[in-house]
Amino acid sequence: MTAADGLHAGRRVTPFSIESVDPARIKTVAAILQDPTPMHLDPAANRARGMGGALSTQGALNMTWFVETAVRFAGGVDRLVSFKVRFLANVFAGERFECTGTITAIDGDAARAELELVATADGRPVLGGTAVIKTG
Amino acid sequence: MSDYAHLAGHRFPGGTYTLAPWLSWLWSDACKLEPDWGTAHQGLAYLVALRGAGVSIQDIFDLMDATADSGVVFGEFQVDYHGVLRPGATYKCEAEVVDVERKSGRRAGVFDKFTFQVKVREQGSEDVTVVCTNSWIFPRAEGE
Amino acid sequence: MATREIQVGQQLEPFVIESVDPEPMKTMAAILQDPNPIHFDPASTVALGLGDKTVNQGPTNVTWLTEFVQRFAGGAEQLVTLRIRFLGNVLAGDRFECTGMVTAVDADAGTAELEVGATSDGRPALGGRAVIKISD
Repeated sequence: MTAADGLHAGRRVTPFSIESVDPARIKTVAAILQDPTPMHLDPAANRARGMGGALSTQGALNMTWFVETAVRFAGGVDRLVSFKVRFLANVFAGERFECTGTITAIDGDAARAELELVATADGRPVLGGTAVIKTG
Repeated sequence: MSDYAHLAGHRFPGGTYTLAPWLSWLWSDACKLEPDWGTAHQGLAYLVALRGAGVSIQDIFDLMDATADSGVVFGEFQVDYHGVLRPGATYKCEAEVVDVERKSGRRAGVFDKFTFQVKVREQGSEDVTVVCTNSWIFPRAEGE
Repeated sequence: MATREIQVGQQLEPFVIESVDPEPMKTMAAILQDPNPIHFDPASTVALGLGDKTVNQGPTNVTWLTEFVQRFAGGAEQLVTLRIRFLGNVLAGDRFECTGMVTAVDADAGTAELEVGATSDGRPALGGRAVIKISD
């Protein structure tokens, strides 16, 4: 990613989306993380807590999609310098997850750009944060 | 005569393993069977035995001078049920090599059949819950 | 479980998985901490000349055969012994079917012996024997 790609403050970050969050993947993540929390495994557990009948995703999964948005925009994993994310709300199986953002600052000398990113699930804000990427 | 016959009687460290309810639930679900927080599927005997035996697949490979590329496959698997596995229970396991037999077959060529056995008891109980006996086939080159 | 009439030669009610789902193989790989990519990455099965279908883990196949015997026997407490040989791979998309037959009845001991097996798309996958309790 270079200035030739139209890098400037205010430019939109290419959106990253998951059309329909897959519950099978949530379960695999639970096994990988050895996470006993029932709301990632059993829809009945969420129903019992008044959260509808779908599994909720792990924060690690949401964060991975957030990072993926920044990495794709930056043009590679080695071009991500740092990121910071706040968890605003749950993401549920079956929802459409989308992460978008804008370039908020460019440092031409240091060859860095700062991004502000926000993610939604079926339009509800679920994540907010920033990322610093290499531009040179 | 197999070089590995002397392994008969070799004891593995053994250990304890707690069958976590979340893992038991996920196992049934991954097998497309009705998951239930209060019931463990008896097919979990393999996992409880493996985890509790205190031995990894790599440890067994090392004992038998094999690697992940050696083409090692499962031979037979036997479970003797004396009780029922329960979610949330902690199991104490003892594991040892039963025997190693050098065999040859027309199709399979020369191989070692390595058999080991794990006895699984609920912690604090003398009664055995399950006994798992597992054999693996280690292909050998001629003259090895 | 009440005593019931079990006869030598009696066929067990088949247990069928219409189409083996590749997604739970990933969850199972995480649970078993089994790094072998043939269970979750079709590129590795292609590279090994096995086609592009992932391979189901042995313990899942064993769980299905256990379920098959358990249903006939009337519950987990009725299982005495299960002895299984691994005959061939079960692949994603296969139709997996367990069948079996009563081969011996010991009324004094209150047990029955079964010969059981499973095929995957018609190919032999598992073979084995089981002993079950048939009376209280």
